[in-house]
Amino acid sequence: MGEERAGHAGMMENFSALFGGAEPPPPAAATALGFGPGKPGGAGAGPPPAVATPQTAEDAARKAAAASGPFYLMRELPGNMELTGSTNLITHYNLEHSYNKFCGKKVKEKLSNFLPDLPGMIDLPGSHDNSSLRSLIEKPPICSSSFNPITGTMLTGFRLHAGPLPEQCRLMHIQPPKKKNKHKHKQSRTQDPVPPETPSDSDHKKKKKKKEEDPERKRKKKEKKKKKNRHSPEHPGVGSSQASSSSSLR
Amino acid sequence: MAEKFDSLEEQLEKFVENIRQLGIIVSDFQPSSQAGLNQKLNFMVTGLQDIDKCRQQLHDISVPLEVFEYIDQGRNPQLYTKECLERALAKNEQVKGKIDTMKKFKSLLIQELTKVFPEDMAKYKAIRGEEPPP
Repeated sequence: MGEERAGHAGMMENFSALFGGAEPPPPAAATALGFGPGKPGGAGAGPPPAVATPQTAEDAARKAAAASGPFYLMRELPGNMELTGSTNLITHYNLEHSYNKFCGKKVKEKLSNFLPDLPGMIDLPGSHDNSSLRSLIEKPPICSSSFNPITGTMLTGFRLHAGPLPEQCRLMHIQPPKKKNKHKHKQSRTQDPVPPETPSDSDHKKKKKKKEEDPERKRKKKEKKKKKNRHSPEHPGVGSSQASSSSSLR
Repeated sequence: MAEKFDSLEEQLEKFVENIRQLGIIVSDFQPSSQAGLNQKLNFMVTGLQDIDKCRQQLHDISVPLEVFEYIDQGRNPQLYTKECLERALAKNEQVKGKIDTMKKFKSLLIQELTKVFPEDMAKYKAIRGEEPPP
């Protein structure tokens, strides 16, 4: 968890590095509302305050100067307070958490990963079994606006024949294959590992035995070679050198 | 915000569970389970009524139609959110790049024009007022 947080923090550093650290934070009231500095003349701007009159007079003077001067095609600059793409809009709207949540780690592709408890094959396209949400919007079912309980006489229509359903109708019991695989993996982990584990264990034991046996064998071999060397006076030095070389190899 | 969805989520979970149980009863129906089936059917109706009641709390929620396409294709709808955020960030970066480049261009242009037309540029600066350097 701590690592995850650290990872997110690191990513956000990179993320904010794209926009530089000099970006001024939005005003507290504005961020609390989820909006940045209001556009001039926007819905929340209201009538211009009295303080603004000197500014407007100044602007008018400038406009007059501009009209009389050489810059007759000059337009007014856009307001500096307007929210543009120069600000990091994700941080502006406090969406860093969502960004880290969805873009920080890999989101699983299938719908069954999002709704793991939903029964049935939900990963198949809705057009296969005519269960798409799009069709529900485009062709809404013709029905009354209220839901009424099913009374005694209406319930007679739901009397069913005894016995199991034919296999092609058992859609509810079919689960997405990924789940099955997971289950199989779990099973294989519980059942299968026994055979592979045993050989690995035995191998390990064998290795241990080999290791345990090795010094004993060496001793025995050395003793045998010494005896041979004692009995064969023709090659007194060769035997000892061979023994040393053989021991060094093993 | 999330509290709004809690009751709907709860109702939907109950409804799905009821449907699942209904499916089990129907898949191997026994005459003795008719009463249980009738009860489950009425639970389904009340479940739908409860879900319908949740509509009042969520009248201000709008869902993009593209999300339905993801669900219809059997894809995780969170992928839509992810792609949206990635697209927004990419566009944001592009626009920021353009704005920064235009600001640099403007300052360079003013600099060069000041060398060639110092008087006119002095007038221009007087009209525009003092602008902070980019």
